[in-house]
Amino acid sequence: MDFAANLFSTGTLSQILVGLSRTTILFIVSSGMSLILGVLRIPNVAHGSLYMIGAFVAWTVIQFLGGGLFAFLAALVVAPLIVAAVGFVLERGFFSYLYEREHLMLLLLTFSFALILGDLVKIVWGPEYRSVTVPAFFQGSAEIFGLPLPWYNLFLLIVGPCIAVFLWLVINKTNLGKIARAAAVDGEMVGAVGINVGWIFAFTFVLGSFLAGLGGALIAPMVNISLGMDHSLIMEAFLIVIIGGLGNMWGALLGSLIFGLTQSLGILVWPQFGIAFPYLAVVAVLVVRPRGLLRSTW
Amino acid sequence: MGKIVSFPAVVLSMFCLAGSGIAGDTIKVGFVDTYSGPATTFTNDVLDGFKMAAEKINAKGGVLGRKITYVTRDDKFKPDIGLTMAKELILNENVDLLVGTINSATALAVSDLCRKEKVPFIATFSKSDKITGEKGHRYVFGMNENTEMAGRAAAKALSRMKFVKYWIAGDDYEYGHAIANGVFNHLKTLNPKVQLLGQSWWKVGETDFTPYITQILAAKPDFVIVATGGGGMVNFQKAAQSTGFNKRIPFYQHTAIELSTLMPQGQNAPEGVYGTANYLFYYPDSKENKAFVEEFRKAYNRYPKSGALYGYMTAQFIAKSFEKAGKIDREKLIDAMEGMTLPSPVGPMEMRACDHQVTLPMFFGVTKKSTQHEFLVAGDVVSIPGKDYMPSCAEIAKARAK
Repeated sequence: MDFAANLFSTGTLSQILVGLSRTTILFIVSSGMSLILGVLRIPNVAHGSLYMIGAFVAWTVIQFLGGGLFAFLAALVVAPLIVAAVGFVLERGFFSYLYEREHLMLLLLTFSFALILGDLVKIVWGPEYRSVTVPAFFQGSAEIFGLPLPWYNLFLLIVGPCIAVFLWLVINKTNLGKIARAAAVDGEMVGAVGINVGWIFAFTFVLGSFLAGLGGALIAPMVNISLGMDHSLIMEAFLIVIIGGLGNMWGALLGSLIFGLTQSLGILVWPQFGIAFPYLAVVAVLVVRPRGLLRSTW
Repeated sequence: MGKIVSFPAVVLSMFCLAGSGIAGDTIKVGFVDTYSGPATTFTNDVLDGFKMAAEKINAKGGVLGRKITYVTRDDKFKPDIGLTMAKELILNENVDLLVGTINSATALAVSDLCRKEKVPFIATFSKSDKITGEKGHRYVFGMNENTEMAGRAAAKALSRMKFVKYWIAGDDYEYGHAIANGVFNHLKTLNPKVQLLGQSWWKVGETDFTPYITQILAAKPDFVIVATGGGGMVNFQKAAQSTGFNKRIPFYQHTAIELSTLMPQGQNAPEGVYGTANYLFYYPDSKENKAFVEEFRKAYNRYPKSGALYGYMTAQFIAKSFEKAGKIDREKLIDAMEGMTLPSPVGPMEMRACDHQVTLPMFFGVTKKSTQHEFLVAGDVVSIPGKDYMPSCAEIAKARAK
């Protein structure tokens, strides 16, 4: 098979667009994780579970409202909010008591929550697969050089940049965001000037959880909502955060782009071993820049 | 020193006595299977089918005057846990035989243990052809189809079609490769004209198939063999529906037409997908099948899936074999079960004597919308009799001799 010819075929553009739509989901989830990692210093293993809960809640909302575009859009709002509420309870109820302890304790706690939340999902929603239909509005696909690109993927291509801009505004243009950034660099100093760091942490964790829930709700129509969807994502999200630079939002974006694009283009070049490409990219990045592409906040 | 050694021995013997005391007046079946996580979609049906049959048998006075009882152990889809549980069931619970598991690696481990312990083991959902093939032995039985059987059945149906350029795509794990190879290798022998254009493999649990689908479309094969399992079944079908893949290139998936794949998608599953399945609650439209569906729905308020058939027949085979043996004895049970043929909701099922693999029909069909159900069903169903797609006894003997 001629690899080079594959890479410069008409399929390339459609493959890049498909890769970018995948990047959107990866970015939304990993940016939330990176945010929490940067400010709270928690490697949140339970982040994938929050994403899974987002998908299940989206399913429930859509079922409750009887489907259709409105129900889907409502789910995109309600699911992240509920997940954010779960995040709030987790942070205030549990994590906030452990900030003074070693990081290992926090890591263990997030790991235990990954298991607990997984079981809770099973108790609430059961072990059956759930499926959300793409609303009629997004059904079907556009043609790009004779190859289909689902309308829903195009929708994701619009959502991704919107979220990136929203996050940029929150972090750079709001007081809360500025304080959170300061707390990421030196939490003690922020506390010393009379700011309640605890609430800054809570805000960051809730925002991160919101993003995880949004990622779950957005992926819901594309996949089979099931137990275990958290595990497959959490690995990718961690790798993205690591290659991007721990705690760096733009690093998460860059990492997602590398991950999403190497995969979709890798499939085009060598379909049999398409899965290997993103991981090879991760290895390549870490060899060249062991601390990640962008400056880590750690 | 002597005291230290004897104390555990005493405790152990007490356990054994207690165990054998319970086993004395009932037939005790030990289930090792995955009862947590996504696999329960399939395993709960096996257990419920078994329970339904066992309750009916017990209501009629049981087998040789004894009631069928069962204990379950959750292996959490992990072979090491499954093996420990199986040991515990044999040693502490003193079960008469073991039943399970959906994980093929667990099934092979438990099968090996059962060979050493001389305890019969009926595998009810694991799809590796090694279980009753090259790794088969006197103590293991297969109550469901395996990858080799599914592959041959699909190859038989596909060989009648005129597709030439094939593409293989699937979940990159043993099941995916076994199914894909099973279908394509047999297809190649039945129709030497077919050629393999290329392959795509993705990691198990892949969520977004769109990049793979657009790449396959660009390569323009005539037909695609999609070797997905578990959650990948629905995920791939959703991606096929949203990209219109099924309308451009026809494809096949084992269990594509099964309820577990089609029901979660409602009316939005892709039409025209070829698939095979051992059980469809609406086909064959026979008296036996209707009665089975009605009984199952009454008991559990849902349609039975293939697992329900396997569980139901497992209980029947155990009961009839003990009856035929005339006593509750593990070796006699095996002798009695060999070559036994029982009526089932899908027609007669035979437990082949040479390899302990059940012979049952395979249904090949294509997904279509239904006027009666809220989900897609299989249309143009062809029933492929078990003997047409089973590896021959000679082939099994050759595989085992290796």
